Amino acid sequence: MAAEAWFGWSLVVGMALLAFFTRSIFILPGSRLRLPPTAERILRYAPAAALMAIIVPDLAMAHGAFAISIDNARLIGGLAAFAIAAATRSILLTIVGGMLALTLVRLL
Amino acid sequence: MEREQRLALRAGALSVASLLFGIVPWGIVAGVAMVSAGLSRAESVGMSLLVFAGTAQLAVLPLLIAKAPLWVMYATALVVNLRYIIYSAVLAPYFGHLSRPWRTLLSYITVDGMFALFVGRFRPDDGNPHKHWYFLGGSLLMWAAWQLSSWIGIFAGAMIPKEWSLEFASTLGLIALLMPLLFDRAVVWGAIAAGGVALVAAKLPLNLGLLAAILAGVAVGLAVARFSPGGKAGTA
Repeated sequence: MAAEAWFGWSLVVGMALLAFFTRSIFILPGSRLRLPPTAERILRYAPAAALMAIIVPDLAMAHGAFAISIDNARLIGGLAAFAIAAATRSILLTIVGGMLALTLVRLL
Repeated sequence: MEREQRLALRAGALSVASLLFGIVPWGIVAGVAMVSAGLSRAESVGMSLLVFAGTAQLAVLPLLIAKAPLWVMYATALVVNLRYIIYSAVLAPYFGHLSRPWRTLLSYITVDGMFALFVGRFRPDDGNPHKHWYFLGGSLLMWAAWQLSSWIGIFAGAMIPKEWSLEFASTLGLIALLMPLLFDRAVVWGAIAAGGVALVAAKLPLNLGLLAAILAGVAVGLAVARFSPGGKAGTA
């Protein structure tokens, strides 16, 4: 899909516009607009929900089917990463530990 | 440039030095993951330069691999970027007096780490006339570190064998990024609900399951905050 040149660049340019739009929405007009508290709370819940909604299917599904078993290397790697991230809060350790767990399950 | 502006620029850069240990491996992983997900090197360099939003970049990669339609990736990037709207609202009073080119530059270059540092250190009405230089100094250093480390990943990453599944590092990176977002019980329950719905609804066409999951997550988060004693603490 990304082999089609327009697709990759549409993704890049569209995402660039979205990133700039969200960052500049209050800074660029230069006004003293305030977010209502409810809007602020929704804005705070949405990113965590989005990340989980991307992470969970990527770990627990394989080839379009549920793959919840200890043979699923991505699931084990991901669970290890959750534990490491909760304990250390380190991006580097989380990635290295998750990759190690993935590799171990594949080798065993 | 006046001496005091230069000093503020330098102080800002020094303030983020410790954050670079997090950014550099992260940028390398993002670079590798973009190429492994199927973007060309030019597209990957373009993405780190133009988008300059690590979480959004990594969030779209599993979707790119799953061949999701473009609009689903845009919607995902937007949702992950929603936190920038809060940053923008908080920063606006700090930068309101600056020229339009300045405000455009500072908007483009805003990142999580510098935002947190800056807001913790300055107030909009504290009378310090050089704080935007401080913000620029820290942000520029993080920007440069992100670009260089991404390029390392993009160009060195192509030499890494595909069997290593390094694209999985982007999902692992999202797990690490998720942790600081789980700041109270309501967010945690919202995130769990989103994960569950995403799994159950994964078969919906056009990746609608992802959007359904996000809506469910926000709804559950709001409900927990509203109906549980003390659940509102920390959300303000």
